[in-house]
Amino acid sequence: MPSDKKRLSSGLTVTSKVFVMSRNGSATKVVREHYLRDDIVCYSTACNKCAELIKENPDGQIPNIQLSDVPAKLQNERHYIVVDTNIVLSAIDLLENTECFYDVIIPQTVLDEVKNKSFPIYQRLRSLVKAEEKRFVVFHNEFHEGTYVTRKHGESMNDRNDRAIRKVVSWYDNHINHDNSIEKINLVFVCNDKDCRKKAEAEGIYTKSLVDYVEMLPKADYLRELVSNDNQTFTEFQNEAKYQEYYSEARIMAGVKNKSLFKGILNISRYNFLQGTVQVPDFKKPLLVVGTKNLNRAFNSDLVVVELLPQDKWRSPSSTIVEEGSIDDYDNPDDDDDGATASNGIIPDKERILLAQEATKAITLASSGNTDVEHKLQPTAKVVGVIRRSWRYYVGQIAPTSVSADDNGNASRACFVVLMDTVLPKIRIRTRRAKELLGKRIVISVDSWEATSKYPSGHFVRSLGDIESTEAETEALLLEHDVEYRPFATNVLNCLPKEGDKWKVPENLDNGDEQLKKRKDLRGELVCSIDPPNCVDIDDALHAKPLPNGNFQVGVHIADVTHFVKANTALDDEGASRGTSVYLVDRRIDMLPLLLGTNLCSLNPYIDRYAFSVIWEVDKDANIVSVEFTKSIIRSREAFSYEAAQKRIDDKSQNDELTKSMRILLNLSKKLKQKRLNNGALNLASPEVKVHMDSETSDPGEVEIKQLLETNSLVEEFMLFANISVARKIYDSYPQTAMLRRHAPPPASNFEQLNDMLSVRKNGMHISLENSKALADSLDNCIDPKDEYFNTLVRIMSTRCMMAAEYFPSGFFGYSDFKHYGLAVDIYTHFTSPIRRYCDIVVHRQLAGAIGYEDLAQSHRDKNKMEFIVKNINKRHRNAQFAGRASIEYYVGQVMKSNESIQEGYVIKCFNNGIVVLVPKFGIEGLIRLEDLGDTDSAIYDEDKFELHFNDLHKNKRTIGVFDKVKVEIKSIKDEISGKRKAQLILQ
Amino acid sequence: MLLSPAERQYLYDSLVQNPPIRPDARNVFQCRPLEATTTFLPSSNGSARLRMTDGAECIVSVKSKVVKTADTPNLLEVDVDVQGYRDDSNFVATLKYNLSSLLHKNFPFEALKLTSRYSYKLFIDCIVMSNTSYPLTIISMAIYLALKTTKLPKLVSEVDDVNVEEQPTFSDDWEDAKTLGEATGSDFQPPVFITLGVIGSSLLFDPSLEEEQVLENGLIVSFYDGKAQTPLQNINLALNSNKNNYKGLKSTHIVSAISMVNKYCGMIIHALDTLIDQDEGDGQVF
Repeated sequence: MPSDKKRLSSGLTVTSKVFVMSRNGSATKVVREHYLRDDIVCYSTACNKCAELIKENPDGQIPNIQLSDVPAKLQNERHYIVVDTNIVLSAIDLLENTECFYDVIIPQTVLDEVKNKSFPIYQRLRSLVKAEEKRFVVFHNEFHEGTYVTRKHGESMNDRNDRAIRKVVSWYDNHINHDNSIEKINLVFVCNDKDCRKKAEAEGIYTKSLVDYVEMLPKADYLRELVSNDNQTFTEFQNEAKYQEYYSEARIMAGVKNKSLFKGILNISRYNFLQGTVQVPDFKKPLLVVGTKNLNRAFNSDLVVVELLPQDKWRSPSSTIVEEGSIDDYDNPDDDDDGATASNGIIPDKERILLAQEATKAITLASSGNTDVEHKLQPTAKVVGVIRRSWRYYVGQIAPTSVSADDNGNASRACFVVLMDTVLPKIRIRTRRAKELLGKRIVISVDSWEATSKYPSGHFVRSLGDIESTEAETEALLLEHDVEYRPFATNVLNCLPKEGDKWKVPENLDNGDEQLKKRKDLRGELVCSIDPPNCVDIDDALHAKPLPNGNFQVGVHIADVTHFVKANTALDDEGASRGTSVYLVDRRIDMLPLLLGTNLCSLNPYIDRYAFSVIWEVDKDANIVSVEFTKSIIRSREAFSYEAAQKRIDDKSQNDELTKSMRILLNLSKKLKQKRLNNGALNLASPEVKVHMDSETSDPGEVEIKQLLETNSLVEEFMLFANISVARKIYDSYPQTAMLRRHAPPPASNFEQLNDMLSVRKNGMHISLENSKALADSLDNCIDPKDEYFNTLVRIMSTRCMMAAEYFPSGFFGYSDFKHYGLAVDIYTHFTSPIRRYCDIVVHRQLAGAIGYEDLAQSHRDKNKMEFIVKNINKRHRNAQFAGRASIEYYVGQVMKSNESIQEGYVIKCFNNGIVVLVPKFGIEGLIRLEDLGDTDSAIYDEDKFELHFNDLHKNKRTIGVFDKVKVEIKSIKDEISGKRKAQLILQ
Repeated sequence: MLLSPAERQYLYDSLVQNPPIRPDARNVFQCRPLEATTTFLPSSNGSARLRMTDGAECIVSVKSKVVKTADTPNLLEVDVDVQGYRDDSNFVATLKYNLSSLLHKNFPFEALKLTSRYSYKLFIDCIVMSNTSYPLTIISMAIYLALKTTKLPKLVSEVDDVNVEEQPTFSDDWEDAKTLGEATGSDFQPPVFITLGVIGSSLLFDPSLEEEQVLENGLIVSFYDGKAQTPLQNINLALNSNKNNYKGLKSTHIVSAISMVNKYCGMIIHALDTLIDQDEGDGQVF
C-alpha cells in the first residue's frame, strides 16, 4: 500500500487497512481505519523523553513505568529483551521462570498473534505483564506512528508481522540509546525463525535464537532443559509410523457442513485406551473410534473431526480391557490395518452421506433392543482432523525402561514419560537428566505430534518431587485438574479492606452511608449456624420463630461476600477464574483470600456480621406465605457442628429459645423434605468416604463412610428452599441473564446397559425414566431381600448414568428446560455458599440488583459475558470435584498400605478379560484382570448375561456376573510404570 | 415545456440538416465530454463515479458474494436508483430491465466461477444522483468502468471439489485479488449501451436534453465484443415531451445505427479504458 497517512491533529494520524475476510466460505473486502499516535511511552525508567507523555489511562491510573534502568547483564552489557511470537508460544514456561527473562518488551503484534493462536498462553502472558514482578511490558507498536508498518505488496501477513516486530526492536534501540539513556542498553531480539533472524541482522539488530540466548545466561545449565524441543528434532524417530495427514481446513469445514464429516469431542474409554467415542449430534449414539490408526494422534477430549469408515468395518464396542502396558508391546488386535484402504482412492461426498444414513439406521436398530449380533454393530469412524487440542501441562513420570542404565554421558537422550492420566499416550521428551528424574513426579508439556512419529513429543517443565511424597502428589493432582493453587497475587490482596482483620460492622448505623441504611438490623434474632465440625468458613446461618398468627418466621442468612468482592476488581476476576474452592483430603484451595473466607465474611458466632438474608413467613405445613430478601446485619448466637446441634435438639432438658427455634427448623425441614420427595426428588448415592488424618503426623489413619444426621438434612433443606426462592426472584428481574442451575433428565441411552443388566441378572428389574418421580419409585423397588446393600449399589450405578447439573444464564434455555431433575424443582440456583462458589457471588449481585440495593454490574447483565462466566465455573466445578475424588483415591491408597484385608465387594462391570469390583467399605473400585482370576484360555465371556466363566487359579470352575457379591483381598501396590499407588483387588 | 415553439422549430431545423448541426457543435458520433473516477468506494470490489458536462452524475458500486452455483439462478444482479423516482416507477423498472438483460446476455460468466460448486455473484448497484437527458448511457458507462476495475479475492483452496467438497478459502491479502480481466485471461470489456436519437435521416449519438425534445424517435443499441449486439430497441428518450415530432422508425435507421455503433463505439470504449489507465486514484479514502 502506498503511504496514505493523513494527519488529523498533532500527534494523531489515520491510515487505513484493506484485507479480505474469508469466513464460512465467504470472501469480504474489509476496510478499517487505523489511528496512529506519537505519544505512546516506552515504559523504560532509563528514558528521559517519555516522561511528559505519561497520561492517566481511562480508569484514572498512571501507568507504571517498569523496565529497569539497570537491567540484567548479558556478557557484560545491560539488555532489554524483545521476544517473537513463536518464543512466547513454545517457551512460556521459560518466560515465567524466575531465573531468566526480566525486562521484556512484548510488541502488541506478538500479543495479538499469541491471542489468536492459543488463548490459555495469551492469558498467562497477560498475567505475567499484570503481575509486574518480571517487568514485562506491552508496547502498542501497531498504534505508534514510529513503529507501524503497512503490508507491502505480495507480503504475507506473517512476514509483515515479523517486520513489525523487528521495527519495534530498532525503534527501541534508537529511542533508548540516542542521547537518552545514560548507560547503553542493548536490545536483544529473541527469535527462533532463521529467516527472520537473518533479516534482523541485515537491519543491524542484535538477535539470538532461544537456545543461543539461554546458553549465554549464567544459569544455562539449569535452564537448558526447559527449552522446548522446537529446534531439537527427533529425527531418529522419523518414519517409525505413518499416520494419515489431517484434512485441510477448507475440506473439514465443507465436510462438516454437508454432513459427510462429523465434529465432536473425543472421549477415550477408561478401560481401553485404544477405543474412543465421539458424540455427534447427528447420531443418537456416539461413533466408535478404534485403534491407533483411526485415533490418528488425537488426545482424549480433543475437539476432532471424524469420517465414517466403510460399513464392513463397523463393529460392536470392544468388551476387552486394554491399558497402555510397557514400552514396546503396542500390538493390539483391534489395530486393523485399514489405513491403506481408506487413504487410497477418493470417496465422494455423496457416498459418505449415504453411509451416514446407513449409520443412523444401524443405531436405530441397535437401540430398538434387538440383540441380534448383526444389529449390535456400531458405526466406526476415524479422526481426520483436530480442531482444538486439549493439550495442557501433564504430570507423569519417566518410564524406567526407556532410560538405559549404562548411559552416563551428558548428552540429551530421548525417553518416554508415562502420564498419570491413563487414557493418554506416552510422551517422548529429550533430557540430559533422565536418570536423576527417575522416580520423580514431573510436569511436561506436549509440543507436537508429527504424522511420521509414533508418539507425541514434548518437553520437561519441572519436577514436583518424589513419587508418593504428599507435596508432589497433591501438586500433581491439582495440576492434573487445572486447579489454580498459587497464592493470591498482590494486586488481588490489595482489594481487601484496609483494616484487615480489624474490620468491624460500624457501630453507628446512621453514618451517612446510603447502602448501610438499606441494611436491616437483625441482631435481635436468635441466629445460629450448623456446619461440619471444625468448619472455618461459615457461609450460612438460620433462625426461626413462631409468629402470633400461628405461622412461623424462618430466616436463612448468607455471608455477604459481595460487600467485599465488588464487581470488576482484581479480586473479583481472581474469584471468577478460580470459580470454586477445592476441597482435598488434607488441604483446601480457597476461591477467595483467607481473610474474607474465614474471617470477615464467615458468619462466626458472637460477633456482628453482614449477611444477605432470605426471610419467609411459612404456615405450619411449610407453605410459603410471603418471602423477603434483604441485606442485613446479624449476630450468630452459636456455631454448632451437626452432631452438637443434633444433641442439643434431642436433649429434652434444653428448653431455651435457641433450642426451641432449632426444633422448629427441624420440624419444618422434615416437611420440606417430604414435599420434595413426593414431587419425585431423587435420592441417589455415591460411595462417599472420609479419610481420617492423624492430627500429629498428618498421615491418613482410617477411612470411613460419611454419616448423615438429621441436622445435615435440616441445613440442606433450608438451603434448597432459599436457593429456589432466590432463583425465582432473580429470574423475575433478569429474565435473560439470571444465573441459574439446571439438571437435565438423563437420556434413555445412558440407562440402557444398566437396565439390560438389571433385567438379565435381577429378574426383570427395571429403572423407568418417564420422569424423576418414576425414576425415584423404580429405584426404591430395586431391592434384593438377601442383600441390603443392593439398593445402594443400584443407586450408585444410576448416579453414573445421570447428566451433570450445570450453571446457565436464563436466556439460554426455555423455562421448561430450567428444570432440576434431581431435586424435582422447576427452577434452581446456588445462593448459599458465596465464600466457596463464584456462582453464588453472581447470584448475590443479581439479587441485590433485584431488590434495588445496588446497581448490577454490566458483566452480569450481558448475555455473552454471562456465557463466559458460566462456561468457566462449570468447568472449574467439574475439575474441583475430580480433584477432590482423586485426592481421596490417593489417600485411600495410602491407608491401604497398612490396612490390607479381605472385604466384601460387588461386581459392577464385566469384560471378556476382567471384572470391575466396587468395595463399599472403602469406596474403592478396582479392575481384576482375567490373568489374575485364573486361566485365560478356557474363559468364556457370556455377553448377553454379563457373566464370565473361567477356571480359577485352583482349577475350580467359577462363574461371576454383574451384581455378584464377592470377597476380595485388598492390597496396596505401586504401579511401576505410572508410579501410581492403587488398591489392588484379588478375588478370593 | 422546456423549449418555446420557436426554439423547438429552430433546433429541429438545424438537426434535420444533413449533416445535422448540433447545438454544442458535436459530430453525430460524438458523446458529450465526461469525467470519471474509479475504485473510490473503499469497501466495494469495484466502483466508478461518472459526471457529464450537463451535471448528470452516476455512482456504481460492484460487490461480490460467494454463492453455490446450483442454488443461484443469476450471478449478476443490477439495481438502479434514480433520484426523484420511485423504485417501482416505470422509468426505473425499464432502466433496470434493460441493464439486466444487457449484462445477462453479454457477460463472461466463466470469470465468476470459483470451483465446480461455488461462484461469485456480483451485485451492481447504480445511483443516478442527477440527470437531465435519458440516463441509460451514463449508467452503462459507469457500470463499464466499475466492472472493469472490479477485483475479486483470490481463492486459495482446492478448485476441484466435484467429489469431495471443500469450503472455499481466500487469500487475506487484498493485493492478491484479481480483476475480471485477469481472471478470464483475456481483454475483458463489459457491454455498454449507447443511446441514439433519430431525426430525419440522421442518427445522433448521446442526445442532450434539448435534442431529445425534438427527436423523431430514439434507439438503444448494445455494444459488446467489438460489435453491436442485442438488446436493441427503440424508445422515447424525451421524458416530458408531448411528442409532437414523434414518428415511426425506418428499417434503414436500424441498419445505419448498427453500422455507426460498429464503427464508432470501439473508440468510446477505448476512451473509457484510457480514462481508467490515467486515473491514478490509489483506491484510498483519502
